[in-house]
Amino acid sequence: MATAKAMVERARGSSARRRQIVNFVIFLGPAILLTVVFFVIPVIVDIVVSFTDMGRSLRVTEFTTSQYERMFGGDPSLAHALSLTFIYVFSTLAIFNVTFGLILALVTTSIGRASGAFFRSVWLLPRMSPSVLYILLWIWVINPSELGLLNQILMTVFGLEKPIDPLSTAPVTLIVIANGFIGASLGMVIFTSAIRGIPEHLFHAARADGAGPLAIVRHITLPALRWPISFVTIYQTLSLLVSFEYILLLTGGGPFNATTVYALFIYRRAFESGQYAYGAALSLLLIIIGVVLALFGWRFFDMRKLLQRPRIEVH
Amino acid sequence: MNPPAETALYTARAPAAIDWAAVAARGRLWRRVRAAAAYAFLVAVSIPIILPYFWLVTVAFSAKRGIAETTVLWRSLAILVPAVLLLWIAGVLSRNWRQMVLAFAGIAVVMIAALVIAVGPELHLRNFIFLIERDFASVVRSRMGEVSGATHFPSVWHAFANSLILAGSQTAIVVTVASLAGYYLSRFQFPGRAATLRALLVLHAFPVMTLIVPLFLMLFYMGLLDTLLGVILVLVAFELPFAIFIMKGFFDGVPWEIEMSALADGASRRQAFVRVVLPLVTNGIIAVSVFTFIRGWEEYIFTFTFLTRSTNWTMSLYMFFVRDDVMGVDYGVVSAVGVFYLVPSLLFYLFAQKYLSQISLGGVKA
Repeated sequence: MATAKAMVERARGSSARRRQIVNFVIFLGPAILLTVVFFVIPVIVDIVVSFTDMGRSLRVTEFTTSQYERMFGGDPSLAHALSLTFIYVFSTLAIFNVTFGLILALVTTSIGRASGAFFRSVWLLPRMSPSVLYILLWIWVINPSELGLLNQILMTVFGLEKPIDPLSTAPVTLIVIANGFIGASLGMVIFTSAIRGIPEHLFHAARADGAGPLAIVRHITLPALRWPISFVTIYQTLSLLVSFEYILLLTGGGPFNATTVYALFIYRRAFESGQYAYGAALSLLLIIIGVVLALFGWRFFDMRKLLQRPRIEVH
Repeated sequence: MNPPAETALYTARAPAAIDWAAVAARGRLWRRVRAAAAYAFLVAVSIPIILPYFWLVTVAFSAKRGIAETTVLWRSLAILVPAVLLLWIAGVLSRNWRQMVLAFAGIAVVMIAALVIAVGPELHLRNFIFLIERDFASVVRSRMGEVSGATHFPSVWHAFANSLILAGSQTAIVVTVASLAGYYLSRFQFPGRAATLRALLVLHAFPVMTLIVPLFLMLFYMGLLDTLLGVILVLVAFELPFAIFIMKGFFDGVPWEIEMSALADGASRRQAFVRVVLPLVTNGIIAVSVFTFIRGWEEYIFTFTFLTRSTNWTMSLYMFFVRDDVMGVDYGVVSAVGVFYLVPSLLFYLFAQKYLSQISLGGVKA
C-alpha cells in the first residue's frame, strides 16, 4: 500500500518534470534556437575565419595568424579609419545626439503642448523615413550644381557666387550632420519624457524663489536628466560605432577613404575587396567593444524588477 | 526686462511702491518674447528638414523635364508661408471662436485659390509611370532622346510584394516566438532564469551590424544566400531580444490573480496562456508587430548585402537602383518612387504611435 502510494507520487513527480521540460522547449525553445544560430554561431564562425586566409573565392587553404599581424602591424588605412571613427562618433554625439537633442527637448517642452509635439514630429521625420530615401534627399540637396537646393539657397539668399560641393570639400562634416539629424531625435524623445516626469511644483517653487529660466534648467532640469543623458550617450556611442548604413549610401566611404569609418572599413574590406578573413579579424575587435559597451548598458536597467521571481509554481 | 529695471524692482521693496499692474505687464511681455524666441528657433531648425521632403513631393507631382525643378517648390512656398503666418496672426488676434473660424476659412479659401492658379497647371501624374510600365527606364530615356543602356528593372509591384513578404513573415515569426519566450520569462521559474535575462539584456544592446561578415559566410554555407528566407531568419533573430523584452514587460503587467483563477478552474498553464493571458496583451502584440514590420520594410544593409538577384529586390533595393540608374536622367520618376516608398512608412508610424508609446523597456530606470 505504502509502496503503491510512493509510486503514484513518483509517477506524478516525473510527469510534472516532463511537463516542465516540454513547457521549456515549447516556450523558450524557438527563441534559444534562433539566438544560438544567429548570434552565437556567427561569433564562432567569425573567430575561426579570422584565423584563415579566406578570400574572394570563399575557400580556405591554410590556417594562419597573418590577418592579426596585418591588423596590428600597421595597416595605414586602418589607422586612418580608427582616428576618423573617433572624430565622427565624438562630434556626432557631442553636437547632435546629446546637445542638440537636449536643446530640442528643452525648447519643445517650454512652448504649448501641441506645437511642441508638432516640432518634435518634424524632427522624427528623418528617423521615420527609410534610409535609402533619406540619403537620396541629402544627395539632391547638396547637388554640386546650381540645381541643388543648398546651392540655390546659398546663391540667391546669401549671395554666394559659385556653387559649393560639400561631398568632396567637407565629407566628414557632411556625414556628421546627416547622421546627427537622425541621432538628435532619440535624445529628444527620451529627454522630453524625462522632463515631463519632473514634478511640476519644483518649477513653481523655483520661480517663486526668483530663479530665471537658465537657473531652472541648470538646477532642476539638468540634475533630473543625469540618467537619461548617460543612457543616450552609451547607447548612441554603440550605435554610431557599428552603423555605417547612411555613410555607405551617402559617400560610399569616399572620396578615397575620407569617410571610411571603422565599421565601414570592415564592410569594404570584406565585400568590396573580398578579404573575408581580414574582415572577420577586424570584426572581432568591434564585437568585443560592442559587448563591453553593452555590459555598461546594464547599469541602466532595474535588475531587481527585471529578475523578480514568478509567483506561480505550476507547470 | 533689462537689468536696471530688475534692480529697480528689488530696491523698491516698500509694499506701496510696487506697481503690480506694471510688473504683470512686464511679465507678460517677457513671456511673449521668450515664446516668440522659442518658436523662431524651432522654425529655423525645422526648415532644413521640411524643405527637402516638400521638394521631393513637388518634384514627384510636377517635374516635366526630368531635372530637379524648383519652380513649383518656391511658388507654393510663396503662397504657403504667408498663409501660415496669417493663420497664426488670425489665431492670436481673434477674440472668439466665430471670428477665428471665419478668418481661418477666409485665409484657407484664398490660399487654395492661389495654389490652384499658380501651381495647379503644373501638376501631373506622369512621373508615376513606373507603377504601370515595367520597362519605364527605357520610356523615360526615349523621352529624353536617349535609347540605350537602360537597366532592366523588375516590376515595382514585384519589389513591393517582396517587401511585404519579408516584413510580414518576419513580423509573424517575431511576434509568435517573442510572445512565447516573454511569457515564459515573466511567469516561470527555471534554473538559469536570471542568467537568461541578463544574456538577453546584452543581446538587446548587441551591435548586430558587426556580425555581417560571418553571417554572409553562414548563409552561403547554408545555401540561403540570395534568398528571402535567409534575410528573414537573420532579421528575425536580430529583432527577437528587443521584442522579448517588450512582451515580457506587457506580461509582467497582467495581474497574477487572473491566471490564478484560470488555473483554479482547471486550465493548464498552456491553456491559461492562450485563452486568458494572451488576449490581455493585445496592445503589446500590436506594438511589437508594427515595430518589427517597419524595420523589415525599411531594411537596407542586410538586403543589399545578402540579396543580389533583381527578382529578390525589396522596395529599398528597388529605390536604390532606380536612383542609381535613372537619377542622371529623370528626377521626376525617382521622386515618384520615393513618395511611393515613403508614404507607407509614414502611415505605419502614424498608426503605431499610439502603441509604441506604451512600450516600457523591462524597467528602465529614471
